[in-house]
Amino acid sequence: METPTSTSERLLATVLPEDGQIPAFVHTDPDVYRLEHQRLWNRVWLFVAHESEIPSPGDFVVRDMGERNVIVARGDDGEIRVFLNSCRHRGMRLAVEDEGSGPSWRCSYHGFTFRNNGTFLGAPYQRAAYVEGLDRDSLRLLEATSDSYRGMVFATWNPHPEPLTDFLGGMAWYLDILIGRAEFEVVGAPQRWVVPTAWKLPAENFASDAYHTATTHAFLAKLGLVSGVDFGRLGYHVDVGQGHGLGIGIQDEGPWYPQELRPEYERNLTPDQLALMDRIKNFHGNVFPNLSFLIPNVVEIAGHRVTGMTVRLWQPIGPDSIQAWSWHLVEKGAPQWWKELGRKTYVQTFGSSGMFEQDDTENWEAQTRNSSATLNFEEPVMLHYQMGLGRQPLSGFPGPGTVYDGKFSEAAARSFYRRWLDLVVGDK
Amino acid sequence: MSTSTELPPVEAAPAAAAVPVPLETRVAAQDFLIEEAHLLDQRRFPEWYALFTDDVVYVAPVRNTRRVGNSGVVEEIGHFDENKASLGLRVRKLGTDVGWAEDPPSITRRFITNVKVEWGDHPDELRVRSYLLLFRSRGDRGQYDLLSAERNDVLRSDASGFRIARRHVLLDQVSLGTKNLAIFL
Repeated sequence: METPTSTSERLLATVLPEDGQIPAFVHTDPDVYRLEHQRLWNRVWLFVAHESEIPSPGDFVVRDMGERNVIVARGDDGEIRVFLNSCRHRGMRLAVEDEGSGPSWRCSYHGFTFRNNGTFLGAPYQRAAYVEGLDRDSLRLLEATSDSYRGMVFATWNPHPEPLTDFLGGMAWYLDILIGRAEFEVVGAPQRWVVPTAWKLPAENFASDAYHTATTHAFLAKLGLVSGVDFGRLGYHVDVGQGHGLGIGIQDEGPWYPQELRPEYERNLTPDQLALMDRIKNFHGNVFPNLSFLIPNVVEIAGHRVTGMTVRLWQPIGPDSIQAWSWHLVEKGAPQWWKELGRKTYVQTFGSSGMFEQDDTENWEAQTRNSSATLNFEEPVMLHYQMGLGRQPLSGFPGPGTVYDGKFSEAAARSFYRRWLDLVVGDK
Repeated sequence: MSTSTELPPVEAAPAAAAVPVPLETRVAAQDFLIEEAHLLDQRRFPEWYALFTDDVVYVAPVRNTRRVGNSGVVEEIGHFDENKASLGLRVRKLGTDVGWAEDPPSITRRFITNVKVEWGDHPDELRVRSYLLLFRSRGDRGQYDLLSAERNDVLRSDASGFRIARRHVLLDQVSLGTKNLAIFL
């Protein structure tokens, strides 16, 4: 095992985002993975849940931040808090289920009990067992700092975090369009499945990669669902800054969402945001580090133009493996046909069985295996990230970030790796 | 000291249907599922697709880990949420030369067991419960994925034989141990 310092030096010498060069080893090197746990997952804001998953006091869901298992709970007071899912006595998991509801958690090892605001409530036979007394305050559950943006709950273990809105930066403007335009609700629960891929590969794909669509998802053209290259190219590539990135596919056939929703959109969006919303054909991106989102291509089904929205986490469970979490969300006030067709479209295109995503997993797995194979090369195997290098950005685009005309670029991927590098090599 | 651990009362078995499903019908339903599995394992997808009624509902709900007393089956969203048209699109994709998730194809073997056949809600329908064990191997490292599931089907019969009018697949994992479901269950 290398020391963190030597791993950092190796990264600084070889990860060259501004030159469009990224070494393949960054994906699966166990030393790099360890460094990410020390310096990345501990420091940044991480998405943990959507508020609609815990609507009532006492509701909770169990999630991961990096490899740390946490409880995301709405306390009896209505406040949302995020706790390490670990009893303060011996470190046993407190919540052993994926979701539930109740005023407290009782550890199933010795019975230590904690209220859903994190305070220690008691232990069995406490007076007999702890004759010397028990310091209740020191037994408070370990709590991450948490905050919400447009119903999305984020948390961080950074003891001195920047405000969530600062962390999101320009991405907030695009999240407004994605999920702030209306009141959204999670449909059911997230799909989960294990993919043998390093976590950064799907993250950079969603942040930056519209170019793969024409090849990886070539079935679209073969089945006559699209024609020409423009279905993947027309639109905008956005290097939002701070490692966030997105692509916006554009169409000019007018809004595709149900007109019943428009008043709500108008209340929640600025005119610029609404004008962009009306032109969206697809919308994909990644909130650094591992929260991706997607409004899939607008398609016509049963006489309606629909789409089905998803947010997803690429949760690392090892240097070469993730658990994919994929939520489907829909406007709470939408008509039933929109909810029904949107759900079907989402399941058909993305998620565990999605006709697009199934091909993506094939790529990510093979890239991951090849990354592992390069670990013992003397010289790093460099991968090519130079599309759009030096290209002039658009001026006058209403949204934040560095915006490029046309979706074919790798600028957002370069920014993703720049932010990643700055974090994992540390603050010296 | 006596501790009384009272077991909940056993619910009375539902009254047997007036007319039992004839043995020949049960065997025919079982043969149908076995043949269906064979078509999939042989990648004869258009023939497989023809086994579904035009109004088919084909779903596979998500599961959750819950404490005892909660269902843990999330019917509101699924790994599949299909009708005849969407199944057809998946079959058409497998017929192209760019269906990368299954080209090269997985090697699959579907084991269908524990088949129980009951009368359905209509005279021409049967309710058929079966267990599925799906072996899927890809690549060159001797690895394989196993998917286990309970399927509850509605088979509708007409002059040409059975058609699947409804399939509800309950997969036995909360987090699937296969990288995608580019295969049918």
